Amino acid sequence: MADQGLEGSQPVDLQKHPSGIVPTLQNIVSTVNLDCKLDLKTIALQARNAEYNPKRFAAVIMRIREPKTTALIFASGKMVCTGAKSEQQSKLAARKYARIIQKLGFPAKFKDFKIQNIVGSCDVKFPIRLEGLAYSHGAFSSYEPELFPGLIYRMKQPKIVLLIFVSGKIVLTGAKVRDETYTAFENIYPVLTEFRKNQQCTLFGYQTMIKYLVWLWQIDLKKSRSSGLAEKFVEL
Amino acid sequence: MSNSSPCSYCGKTSFIRDNESGELICSSCGAVQQFDQFDAQIGGIDGPQGTFVHVGTTGSGSVYSYKERKLFAAQNSIDEVTNILGLSSKSDDVRSMVSTITEGEFGQGEWFQVLIGACAYVVMRKADRPLPMAEVASALGCDVYEIGRMIMRVVDFLDLRPDFPEFDIVHSLERTIRNCNALASVERGVIERMRKQGVFLIQCAVKWFLSTGRRPLPLVVAVLVFVAELNGVAVEMEELAQEVHARVSTCRTRYKELLETLVKVAQVLPWGKDVTVKNIVKNAPFVIQYMERKAMSKPGEVREKGEGLTPAPVDLEDVISECLSNDGEFEYGVDGMTHRKDSRYYFLEGNAGGVGGGDVDRLQISPECLSMLYKKFRDEYRRGESLRGNGNAQKKSLRVDLLECSEWWDGKSELSKKLLLKRLLEKDIGVDNMPPSFVNGQLKCKMRQERIKAAKLRIKRIMHPFDADVGDTETPDPLDSSYPERRRKKRKGMVVDDVDWEDLIIETLVLHKVKEEEIEKGHYNTLLDLHVFNSGIV
Repeated sequence: MADQGLEGSQPVDLQKHPSGIVPTLQNIVSTVNLDCKLDLKTIALQARNAEYNPKRFAAVIMRIREPKTTALIFASGKMVCTGAKSEQQSKLAARKYARIIQKLGFPAKFKDFKIQNIVGSCDVKFPIRLEGLAYSHGAFSSYEPELFPGLIYRMKQPKIVLLIFVSGKIVLTGAKVRDETYTAFENIYPVLTEFRKNQQCTLFGYQTMIKYLVWLWQIDLKKSRSSGLAEKFVEL
Repeated sequence: MSNSSPCSYCGKTSFIRDNESGELICSSCGAVQQFDQFDAQIGGIDGPQGTFVHVGTTGSGSVYSYKERKLFAAQNSIDEVTNILGLSSKSDDVRSMVSTITEGEFGQGEWFQVLIGACAYVVMRKADRPLPMAEVASALGCDVYEIGRMIMRVVDFLDLRPDFPEFDIVHSLERTIRNCNALASVERGVIERMRKQGVFLIQCAVKWFLSTGRRPLPLVVAVLVFVAELNGVAVEMEELAQEVHARVSTCRTRYKELLETLVKVAQVLPWGKDVTVKNIVKNAPFVIQYMERKAMSKPGEVREKGEGLTPAPVDLEDVISECLSNDGEFEYGVDGMTHRKDSRYYFLEGNAGGVGGGDVDRLQISPECLSMLYKKFRDEYRRGESLRGNGNAQKKSLRVDLLECSEWWDGKSELSKKLLLKRLLEKDIGVDNMPPSFVNGQLKCKMRQERIKAAKLRIKRIMHPFDADVGDTETPDPLDSSYPERRRKKRKGMVVDDVDWEDLIIETLVLHKVKEEEIEKGHYNTLLDLHVFNSGIV
């Protein structure tokens, strides 16, 4: 692998993501119909990667390593596949499960594959005043610190639920397609910037800061300290 | 039915119904006809005979129907619950809310108790006098989340959302001070002062993000304990926490955070460097006074005042030198001990500006404020010192402190009254704090950046083993154990050559050309799945 390979990364498409932040997809839930009645006990006994406890839950829980996913297989032949990180992975995993069921001797098909939910997350890198957000967007949000630390924002268009935390971390859930997650984030981002805590740099003028730095140097503070400040200033 | 079949004796078809017995009699021959009243009986036609009497339809009030009994029990339990919560005056509101929700049916069983609790909570919160959920839950003997779910359902059902007031932490503090058993024996005046100080501090805490996204009650407990300590009232945190149904450990964490933030504020004081978490309670009067003064000055006004004092574009040098000269004055007539410290305070003065990042407003107000504070501190220090000289050191100096508490606090600032969030956020109280979770996130991110850098360096070294440059240009090793962000003791598993599992994962990701920004976020599992174990997808 070449050196430049380590640095290689394409920039974010600003047309699609004006905020410059792309939510990371964390979980994808899909369903598929295998279109045949299944004997769960047989599956549980024959497959090594399956667990089945009818007293607790009426489905076989099966896992595969790659893509690292978990499936719930019901006697009706319906199957739920969770844990994939992308749509293709979810489909591939579902196919793999269907193949396993086929190998166990059931006439499994692969009907009506559908992504049911996409969960994404991201970090806006500034703290958010949840109280303020809850107050001004009261119709959409529910902020009950006695019950849950985050603010629950139910967006209407696209219909997505966002969990917004004071640390600036956001979780988006409820999307059926990836773009809904992205749109929801782009919709909420300007709202969040409104409630970000004021960063100090915007509060004071640079002139003052120059004077201050000069003064710092004059009274010969620790060299490393002042130069550190200076570097920071140059960056600004 | 009876008219269709003729008389069994004479064959005529006209009959009379005997009202007494209910039997059918032929009007011509008078023969009693066969029984035709096949009324539904309990147990069918062959079931027990007798007169069927509906329970509750006879008698006069001694026997009730199921519904009446249910309603009666429901009213009772509403009264009971509101009584326990001390809201007897609101019980009518609660009752009408329950009635609206159940469409006048009320109910029975555990769920109904929870519903009553939820309605009581909603009624109180609508009236801007919220009860803590934990209190309602403990009164009903159920889980906080159970009551919380019900409250959310009630709020949704009644469509209260847009104007439903938020949980008011200030009111919660006031309420706790008023109702707390642990403070019952304290004088009224002291309580009132504690209340004002508490409100002041808790609003500062809200401003410092200490309450955002956290349960409010532990913070209330922390502030109360701090204020009690400040006023020389002995209160155990455990006791207080138990009384408001908060976790003691959480209260301790909040208390620690509060102290740490106050220490941060204290850095602007001339002796700020000497203030630590341990002695902050002693220094708190000065800190709070400072914050009060800051809060009372409106940003706009200060600027004008400042312009009167100094030429238009504010000159920091002037301000700072003024500070220094003020300190110089004090040097006269001060004993050797203070002398020794003063040389350091020169420095600190400079830092005071530095900490806030050159906050102009603060520096403008600081000269008078600081000099006054400094004077006070010096006086106190002397007094304490002389007392210590007398022999009975510790006890008396403590008492001096406690006596002084009453003098410094005037509670004039608006922050000792309840403020709207917007107004509160506009106030300047010296130091702006970032939420702890945010700070942690940033630290973690920085740590990952360092690890990425280190991983790249290691890769480079392996790929170009003979390249002398690589070794020389090495920046100060971030893996150095002195590096503050790395807490070795927290690491799990084997650490070989100072490289642990996280480093290895990062290295793998870097080798798979994952974007740095993605790695910084720290979702290793996702990235591994997407970029490393992704062989099946073409």
